[in-house]
Amino acid sequence: MRTPRVLALAAAGVLAGGALAACSDDAGSGGDAAAGGPIPVNATDSACEVATTDVDAGTVTFKVTNKGVKVTEFYVYAQGDRVMGEVENIAPGLSRELHVELPAGTYETACKPGMVGKGIRGALKVKGSAAPLTADAALAAATESYQRYVKSQTAALLEKTQEFVTAVKAGDAAKAKELFPVARTYWERIEPVAEIFGDLDPKIDGREEVIEEGMEFTGFHRIEKDLWQTGDISKSGPMADRLMTDINEIVAKANAEKLSPLQLANGAKELLDEVATGKITGEEDRYSHTDLWDFNANVEGSKAAIASLRPVLEERAPDLVKQLDAEFANVDTALSKHRAGDGWKLHNQLTQDELKELSDSINALAEPISKVAAVVAK
Amino acid sequence: MGDNPLFATYLIGLREGLEATLVVSILIAFLVKSDRRNRLPWVALGVTVAVALSIGFGALLTYTRTTLLADYRDRELFEAITSVAAVCFVTWMIFWMRRAARSIAGELREGLDRAIAVGPLAVALFALLAVVREGLETALLFFAAVQGAESDTGPLLAILGGILTSIVIGVLLYASAVRINLTKFFTWTGVLLVLVAAGILKYGVHDFQEADVLPGLNNLAYDITGTLDPSSWYAALLAGMFNITPAPTVLEVVAWLAYAVPVLVLFLIPGRRRPSPPRPTTDSPAPAASQAA
Repeated sequence: MRTPRVLALAAAGVLAGGALAACSDDAGSGGDAAAGGPIPVNATDSACEVATTDVDAGTVTFKVTNKGVKVTEFYVYAQGDRVMGEVENIAPGLSRELHVELPAGTYETACKPGMVGKGIRGALKVKGSAAPLTADAALAAATESYQRYVKSQTAALLEKTQEFVTAVKAGDAAKAKELFPVARTYWERIEPVAEIFGDLDPKIDGREEVIEEGMEFTGFHRIEKDLWQTGDISKSGPMADRLMTDINEIVAKANAEKLSPLQLANGAKELLDEVATGKITGEEDRYSHTDLWDFNANVEGSKAAIASLRPVLEERAPDLVKQLDAEFANVDTALSKHRAGDGWKLHNQLTQDELKELSDSINALAEPISKVAAVVAK
Repeated sequence: MGDNPLFATYLIGLREGLEATLVVSILIAFLVKSDRRNRLPWVALGVTVAVALSIGFGALLTYTRTTLLADYRDRELFEAITSVAAVCFVTWMIFWMRRAARSIAGELREGLDRAIAVGPLAVALFALLAVVREGLETALLFFAAVQGAESDTGPLLAILGGILTSIVIGVLLYASAVRINLTKFFTWTGVLLVLVAAGILKYGVHDFQEADVLPGLNNLAYDITGTLDPSSWYAALLAGMFNITPAPTVLEVVAWLAYAVPVLVLFLIPGRRRPSPPRPTTDSPAPAASQAA
């Protein structure tokens, strides 16, 4: 009764679509997108032929035709497999278009016949366009991109800190211990931003020594001490509430702060210094020994800042980018030996030799990172 | 497996179609079962508007040089937002089901009316969301097939065949749901809806990741594309009905669990004077799926 009506509707829609198609045969051609209309891509089950692999920056249009027998997808990836654009569900025998905004740089195209795996990759070079981005615009784009990163991290920081605080107040020590390194991960990734706000940082992340500077010992590490050392969190409720208040305040400030490209570059370096002084030594999380979580988060944060600056660096110092990539990979390799389940080994489970290896890899990375600021300031 | 190009195309139509018809057919069954046939025209209205919107937009994007929603990220965002909105509605409906099941268990048939105050606009909006979510992507695919139909009408017919099959499955689901006894109906369709809603949420999360609003697109929870071939018919069914995909991201899985587990528990908490219904396993939708087929 009713369902036929739905059927009729679908049929009507199809008819309308068909009629539309019939009377607009050649509308839409004569593309004024990138130079000379869409770039044809021939996708088969075993190949992905992109007609040209050198294009000008701006809006690029690909017309992907599936000549295979499997359903395929087409992607444009920036480095590190960041998706710049994609079109899914390209049925065999059909053509579909992808419009994608590409700044100058190197990318990869990929067809995924059968919708599985990494796809058939190909290089794509995008050159500075006829109307090149001004240097300022590139830097502005970098800070915007990093600002988005800060936003995503602060959102998670609020959520996880809230969970941590709730667990502490509920007296659930086991859960609080589990959440402690997780919540801190988001904090550690964006620590340089936090450090802009003077006394908030020590309130949240100060160690016991802040007492010597006439401050009260509060924040993450105070609760860490209650959890791991004294083993009594029955009185930690007010401390947990204060932590939440401070985190709320710093997140609001961090998201409102307009960062400069130079701050990104310096931040990437500061994060590595953090690793060297606080994490390698084990002084930061002295009660819980969860330093490797912080270590990894610092490195990730540093990587994110560099990733945002990447288009600028590619343009001005391509060799430096290569070096950074290699050293980041090296740090990841050294660190990944110490994974344990979803997390990391404790700091006190590592031998002196292992710590030295980590320290060496960080120092090797710090060297090219310290050059980034100069390149940005050019 | 899936090496016939037309069959592969047909499966796309089936998968995209199922995403909408499953929810709509449960909605219709629910309205019929709870004596609210007068709301059915509103369902039709919602579906009509959604289909018209999708086809209109699909045509605009295909045949004109509009920039509205031309960037795939905006489209992903659109799908993500409509999916999350759909989840809210479906959740609401799940709890109608629960209340309905309660009042029937208490032999309060006339109480049903009061238990389920559902406005006509809500119904229309619900149907609209369920269809418009996938409608735009399907319309774009459809027009791509229309454009290719000059040389080969196969893909166009295959896509339409897939969409029609999804509607047939919807009709069958409706027919079998309407026949079972009331209490069972509300319990089972409720459970089925929880799985569907969790799937829609997971899908929405994935779209947010693709639109670059949420991070972690390359951070896969697991990848069983080796065992569950995404181009097989059963993978298409699983994806269309419950959004169970062979390579989900960590965030998708978290969203799925964070929704499905508490809602299922809340839904299945027995009323004060009822034995608890048999608990289906939450981690394998196989029993529910066999119910649906």
